[in-house]
Amino acid sequence: MRIDASKCIGCGQCRPFCIMQVIDFTRSEKGKVHCVVNEDECVDCEICYRAKVCPVDALKQPETQWPRSIRGTFSNPLAIHKETKVPGRGTEEMKTNDITNRYERGFAGMSAELGRPGIGARLRDAEKVFMALAPLGVEFEPQNPLTNLLEDPKTGKMKEEVLNEKVLSCIVETIIPLDRILEVLDAMEKVAKTIDSVFSIDLVCRADEDLSVPSLKVMEAGHRWYTRNGKTNIGLGHLNVKGADR
Amino acid sequence: MDSLSRDYVIFAMSAKGFNSENSRYALTEFLKIVDKYHWVNMGDMKTGGYYLVGKEAIMEGVQDTSIVHGVFTSKEDLRGAVRELKAADLGVSITISGILDNVNEVLLDNNIKRHTVEVSLGVRGRTDRLPEEELLEVTTMCGHGMVSQTFVRQMLIDIKKGKRTPEEAANYLATPCVCGVFNPRRAQELLEELVDVWCMDEN
Ligand code: SF4
Ligand code: SF4
Repeated sequence: MRIDASKCIGCGQCRPFCIMQVIDFTRSEKGKVHCVVNEDECVDCEICYRAKVCPVDALKQPETQWPRSIRGTFSNPLAIHKETKVPGRGTEEMKTNDITNRYERGFAGMSAELGRPGIGARLRDAEKVFMALAPLGVEFEPQNPLTNLLEDPKTGKMKEEVLNEKVLSCIVETIIPLDRILEVLDAMEKVAKTIDSVFSIDLVCRADEDLSVPSLKVMEAGHRWYTRNGKTNIGLGHLNVKGADR
Repeated sequence: MDSLSRDYVIFAMSAKGFNSENSRYALTEFLKIVDKYHWVNMGDMKTGGYYLVGKEAIMEGVQDTSIVHGVFTSKEDLRGAVRELKAADLGVSITISGILDNVNEVLLDNNIKRHTVEVSLGVRGRTDRLPEEELLEVTTMCGHGMVSQTFVRQMLIDIKKGKRTPEEAANYLATPCVCGVFNPRRAQELLEELVDVWCMDEN
């Protein structure tokens, strides 16, 4: 995001909306107060622009080139990832598992969402998480745009040119056998000590016929904490979508 | 009862490459069903949330790749909407975010077996960089992190100064959340609690 200094009247109304807190006041050579975006720390989410508070239309999102373009596609939920056609962080995760069977019985989806909540993350932190998990032989979800930025899925090395890019959040997504949940969790906790941001860890699992959730049993047996709220895919999806034959 | 038990987000999407073609009609019907109950926010990731773009724009803008959302504050509304959604047999995937046991109870009332469950195992890393827990409770209602902590602080100052009521402030906080999953009534409750106990200074 960029602020046109010749238009900006320095009212500061856009500042509270900035999730990265990177809009600051400054002065032109002639002493005129205006605001400026620290573009290195900005994630191109366009929230400040969408807030529609600027009285003089001074906020503009410049056209971005690769690799800067990564910022907008990961941080602006209205943008679509070219690879997956999914908006936002670019992955359907468990939200369509009743159709895709992405998480089969006996497996769990385990993900680290970097930058969440509200801090943002450089992709070099995502690489650290990838590189901590790759030696465990876990499978990284191919239908996730972050996985597409890997140079080598075997080592978890990401493409060099993307490492300094900063995004609001991005998800390192794995699918693992149930009996490896605690091992992967331990590895995530270990690498968490080396990163400069935060990540939130999510655990996905298909419910059993008796409606119990096997992943939660593993967590309880290991005396590990998880939230009492979460997402429940209610299983009403099927292939003959109503009205689709119009 | 804590505020979490008054926060249920129900949303629908189709699966790319499986059943997404022409799914916009079913996704629109989903929103029409949600609209029959006492929702406090709704939205579509492709268009924006109710508090920014309004209901009409959301309804008219639904696409095959949309993810459409509605927010309820009561189990009763959720139960009713789920009953109708099941009867409508839309075929798109439906997910509910909320306290798992409460959601499961609503599903069982409707003879629905839960399919897949996701929980959070918490936040790791530089947690010292996070804002206060009370602010996080408000900001994280938008899962994409579109509601900034500074914005919440600003609203608290505005309430203290009498520039906005807690209700107005909470509705305004909902505007950046493009999916329309931010629960302004829960936010209002949290703001009302905070404004009494926090000392705010603009400098
Ligand atoms: S685009 Fe996002 S991060 Fe950049 S200045 Fe605007 S709100 Fe802040
Ligand atoms: S709202 Fe517009 S005029 Fe006011 S500080 Fe921001 S960019 Fe400048």
